[in-house]
Amino acid sequence: MRLRSRFIRLLAGAAAVLAAGFVAPSADAQQRPLVWGDTLPATLDPHAIFDVPSQFVLLNAYDGLYRYQGNPPRLVPWLAESHTTSADGLTWDFTLRAGIKFQDGSDMNAEDVVYSFRRLLGMNRAPAAAFSPVLKPENVTATGPRTIRFVLSRPYAPFLAAIPLVAIVNPRVIAPNIANNDWGAAWLAANTAGSGAYRIDPATYQTRVSMDLARFPGHFMGWSHLERPIDIVRARPVLETSTRVLALLRGEIDATDSYLPTDQVERVERNARTRVARDESMRVFILRMNNMKAPFDNRDARLCFAHAFNYQGFNDVILKGLVVRNGGPNPNNLWGNPPDLQGYSFNLDQAKQHCDRARAAGAPIGREIEIHVQSELEQTVQAAQMFQADLRKIGINLRIVTNTWAGITAATTQAQTTPDMWVHWVSTYFVDPENWIGQMYDSQFHGTWKASAWYKNDQVDDLLRRARSSLDQAERERLYQQATRIVVADSPDIWVYNTLNLRGLTRRVQGYTFSPVGSGGELRLVSLTN
Amino acid sequence: MARYVIRRLLLALPALFGLILLTFVLSRVIPGDPAATLAGDAATPAMIAEIRAQYGLDRPVIEQAFIHVRQVLTGDFGKSVFSGRPVAEEILQRLPATLELTFVALLIAVFLGVPLGLFAALNHNGIIDHLVRVVSVGGLALASFWLAIMLQLLFAMELDLLPLRGRIDVALGMPPRVTGFVLLDSLIAGRFDLLMNGISHLILPAITLSLPGLATIARFTRSGVLEVLQKDFVLYAQAVGYGRFRLAAIYVLRNAVTLVVTQIGLLFGALISGAVAVEAIFDWPGLGTYSVQAIISADYKALLAVTLVVGFVYAVVNVLVDVAQAIIDPRVAEDVA
Amino acid sequence: MMVLRVLLRDPVAALGLFIVLFAIFVAIFANWLAPYPNDAFESHLLQRLKPPSVAFPFGTDNLGRDIFSRVILGTRNALLVAVAVITAAMLIGVPIGLFAGWREGWLSEVLMRTTDVFLAVPQLILALALGQLLAPGIGAAMVALALTYWPFFARTVFAETRRLRGSLFVDALAGIGASPLRILFLHVLPNAAPAVLVRATIGMGFTILTAAILGFLGVGATPPSPDWGLAVSEARQHLPEAWWFPTFPGLAILVLVLGFNLLGDGLRDAADPKIRRSKR
Repeated sequence: MRLRSRFIRLLAGAAAVLAAGFVAPSADAQQRPLVWGDTLPATLDPHAIFDVPSQFVLLNAYDGLYRYQGNPPRLVPWLAESHTTSADGLTWDFTLRAGIKFQDGSDMNAEDVVYSFRRLLGMNRAPAAAFSPVLKPENVTATGPRTIRFVLSRPYAPFLAAIPLVAIVNPRVIAPNIANNDWGAAWLAANTAGSGAYRIDPATYQTRVSMDLARFPGHFMGWSHLERPIDIVRARPVLETSTRVLALLRGEIDATDSYLPTDQVERVERNARTRVARDESMRVFILRMNNMKAPFDNRDARLCFAHAFNYQGFNDVILKGLVVRNGGPNPNNLWGNPPDLQGYSFNLDQAKQHCDRARAAGAPIGREIEIHVQSELEQTVQAAQMFQADLRKIGINLRIVTNTWAGITAATTQAQTTPDMWVHWVSTYFVDPENWIGQMYDSQFHGTWKASAWYKNDQVDDLLRRARSSLDQAERERLYQQATRIVVADSPDIWVYNTLNLRGLTRRVQGYTFSPVGSGGELRLVSLTN
Repeated sequence: MARYVIRRLLLALPALFGLILLTFVLSRVIPGDPAATLAGDAATPAMIAEIRAQYGLDRPVIEQAFIHVRQVLTGDFGKSVFSGRPVAEEILQRLPATLELTFVALLIAVFLGVPLGLFAALNHNGIIDHLVRVVSVGGLALASFWLAIMLQLLFAMELDLLPLRGRIDVALGMPPRVTGFVLLDSLIAGRFDLLMNGISHLILPAITLSLPGLATIARFTRSGVLEVLQKDFVLYAQAVGYGRFRLAAIYVLRNAVTLVVTQIGLLFGALISGAVAVEAIFDWPGLGTYSVQAIISADYKALLAVTLVVGFVYAVVNVLVDVAQAIIDPRVAEDVA
Repeated sequence: MMVLRVLLRDPVAALGLFIVLFAIFVAIFANWLAPYPNDAFESHLLQRLKPPSVAFPFGTDNLGRDIFSRVILGTRNALLVAVAVITAAMLIGVPIGLFAGWREGWLSEVLMRTTDVFLAVPQLILALALGQLLAPGIGAAMVALALTYWPFFARTVFAETRRLRGSLFVDALAGIGASPLRILFLHVLPNAAPAVLVRATIGMGFTILTAAILGFLGVGATPPSPDWGLAVSEARQHLPEAWWFPTFPGLAILVLVLGFNLLGDGLRDAADPKIRRSKR
C-alpha cells in the first residue's frame, strides 16, 4: 500500500513537471525581460550599414555627438555639450562632455571621436555618403582632450543634421581585432564597441535571429529619469507578419516592427494585453517613374499616371485612413513645403486626356509598362495591384514584377536598367529636406536608389545646391519651397502618403517615445509595469 | 562487401564535384548585385565599384571558378555578403535547428508510417486499406505551408494548446549550447523544464514536416508488404499454421524493411526541402529560413554554401542507406557488376 | 483499355480519375463557370475581405475580388503549368534514360552521374535559386521545375531500359538487324510507357504543389495571377480574421494534387501484374 501511494505521488510529481514545461511561464513582469520583435540589422557595425533596422543598434549600443529626440524631432547635444561654427560655415568645433565612459570602462576623449569619423570615412560604406563629398579624414582633428574640429571643403547645411548618423566607437576594443586592414569590420559585425545605454552580448548574437542586450549602468546620461529601467532586453525578430502579430497578442513579444499592417490595428487595440502606438512619422510612400525611359520622358504621360492612382482608395480604404495624404516629396510635417501645396487627385477622365495628349506627341503609352514591387512588403504589392486595375480602365497595360530591395537598388545604378516604375518608402535618415527632395531630385545623385527617377532640371539643381550650402534657414526654406513647386508641377514621381508609424506594443511597456529617426526604438526611455 | 562500399563512395565523388561546379554556375548568374547589397542604402556607384573590387567580383569568371572550388574544398565558404560574417559560421549556427527538426520529423514518419502501411497491407482492399491509401496520398498532396498555417491557427491561436513559434519560449531562453540541439542540450544541462518546453515547440513543425514522409513510408511499406505476402515462403508458413499477424511481424517486415530504408534516403532530401516552408512559418532559425533570406538579399555565397552542405549531407545519407541496404540484404551488393 | 476497366474497379483510383477530369473540365470552361471572370485582374476596394456569403461563396480577398472565381480561374494556371513542366521534363529525361540504359560505358556513366548531380541538390532550393536566376515569375519557375524533375524520368526510364534490354524480343530485334535507335524508340519506349505514365501523373501533382510553394515564397506566379499558392501567400497578412482567404485556395491545391496522386497510384497498381494478382 505504501509503495503504491509513493509511486502515485511520484507519477503525480512527474506529471506536474511535465505540465509545467508545456504551460507558458506566468508573466512576472519584473523578472521577465523585454522582448523586442523588430527586425535585426544585417551587421552590428554602425559604420558599415545604414538602414531602418540598424537604427536600433545605433540608438542603443552607441552614442553620437548629437541625437534626435521626440516628435517633431529636435536635435539635442548628446556626447557633445555644444558646438560652434565659423562664419563661412566651413569650420565646426565640438566640445565633448566630461566623464563619459565606454561600456568597457575606459574614458572617452576627443581622439576617440576623431578615430570614429576617420574609420567611417575610411571604410566608405553607407553612412559615409552623407559626409564624404565635403569632409576628408585628415580634416577631422582633436584640438584638445575634449574638443574636435571639422573643416569642410565647402559649406554644407545638413552637416549638423547628419551628425547623429555617426556612432562613436571605442578604438581600444577594436584595435586587437583588426585583420587585413579592415578597420576591424569583420569583428565588429558581430561584436560591440560602444558607449550606449545598452550593451550587446555577442555570445547571444545570431544574425537575424537573436540578440540580447544588458543595461549599462555607467551610461553618461545616467538613469535617474526612470524609476525602474529595464535590465535585460531580448531582440527576437519574427519573420512573418501574421506570426508576429499573433506573438504580440499572446504576449510572447512586447513589440512588433514599425510596419504593423493597417488591417491588424483594430485587432491589436481590442486585445486587453496590447495596444498600437500611432505616431506621425516622416516616411513617404512613393511610386517612382523612370524619367529617362519613354513614355515617362513625356510630362503628359507622367501626369496621366499621377491622375490614375486612387489615393483616397488606397489611403482610406486599404490602409484604413491610418496614413496622411502627402502630395509632394517632402513629408508634410517637415519645413520646406509650400503652404498651399496640392497633390494630384484621382481623376480617370483627366488622366485619359493627358494620356491622349502624350500619345499624340508620340509617347509609347501602349507598351507594356513594368512596375517592380518588393515581395516582402505587402503594401507595395497592394498599391501596384490597385494601380494596375485602374490603369486598365484607361487602356494602359501595367505588369507587376516581384523583386527585392537588393535587386532593385542594384538596377538603379544606370538609367537603362532602372525599372519603368517601382514602389518604396523614403525614411528619415536625417531630418532635413536634403534627405528627401535634395537627394531625390538633384541630378548629382543619379545612380543612387533615391534618385532613381533620373529627373534632370537645371533650375531645380541650382536651387537645391544653393539650399545645400546656405547657412541661412529662411533662405533655405524659400529655396526648398520653390524647388518643390517646380518638381511637383513636373510630376516625376507619384507621391502617395506620409506614414503614420504603427507599432504594436504590450501594455506593460511604458515610456515608449517615438521619434522618426529610430522609430521609437530607444530603450533607455522605456520601462515595464505589471 | 568492402568493394561495394568503396565503389559506392567513389561513385558519389563525381556527383559532389558536379554539384560544386553547378552551384558556382548558379552563383554567377543570380541577379541582384551583391556589391550593391553590401554597400547599403546610401551607397554611391563609386562605393559599389570599390566593394566589387574588394570581393573579387570583377575578376574573370574562370578565375573565380577556380578560387571557388579551392575555397570549398578547404571548407572556406567565404563571408556572407549580407552580414559580413563567415558563412561557415552562420551555417553551423543554424544547422542543428534544421537537423533536429528533420530528425524528429523522420522519427514520426517512420514510427507512424510503418505500422500504418503494415496494417493496410494486412487488411488489403478492406476499409482500413482504402482509408490509409487516401490518407497516405493526401499527406503528399497537402501543401506544407498551408497545413502549417492551418495547424498554427487551430492549435496555437484558437485552442492555445501549443506554442506559436520558435524553438523555445523566449522568457526561458535556450539551454547552454553544447550540441545546438535543444533536446540534447537541455538534458545535458539537467533542465527538465527546458526539455519539455522544447518538445512542445517541436510538435507542430515536426508533424507538418513529417506528413509527406509519413505518407510515402506508409505507401511503400504497404506495397512492400503486399509484394512479400505473395511470396511462396509466406504461403507455406500460413499453411503450416502460423497466424497472419505473427507472420507479418517476423517474416514479412524484415523483407519490407529494405524498401523503407531506401525511402528514408530519398525522404531525407525531401525533408530538407520541405523544411524551407515550415521553418518560415514557425520562425524556426534553421537552414531553410537562411536560404530564403539569402535569396532575398542576393547573398549568393550563403546560398551556395547551403546548397553544398545540404547536397553533401544528402549524398552521405544516401551512401549510408545503400550500405545499410547491403548489410540487410547481401544480394544487393552482388549486383555491382 | 483493360487498364481502364481495372482502374475503374478500384474506387480510390476512380476517385482520382474523376477529380482530374473534373479539374480539366473546370479549366477549359473557367471563364463561363466563374461568376466574376474579370476578378482575375479587377479590384473592388469597397468589398474587400468579406466573409463567405451567397454572393461570394468563398468570400473576397484583400482587393475585393471573388475568391470562388479566382479559385476556378486558377485551375487553368495550375494545369497549364503542370502539363508544360512535365512535358519538358519528359523531353529531357526520357531520351537520357534511354541512352544511358541501352549501353554500358562512359556515356551511360556520364549521363547517370549528371542525373545524380541534379538529384543531389534539394529540389526546392535549386528551384528557388533558378527561379531567381531568370526574371522572377512563373516562366522562370516552370524552367526551374522542369530542370529539377527530369532526373526522375531519366531514372525511371533507365531502370526500365536496363530491365528490358535483356529480354528476348530485344535480342530478336537486334538479331534481325534493327538499329539501336529504332529498337529504343519504337520498341523499348512503348514498353516502358506505363512506368513513365505513372511517373508523369505523380509528377503533375508534385509540380502543382511545388509551383504553389514557389508562388507562396514569392518566386513563382506574380500578381494579379489567380495562382493558388500566391493567394495563400497574400492571405497570411489577414489572418486569423479572414480565415477563408487561404483556406479555399489551399483546399483546391489539396484536391487537385490528391486527384493526380490517386490516379497515378491506381495506374501503377493496374499496370503492375504482381499487385493485380493479389486483387483476386
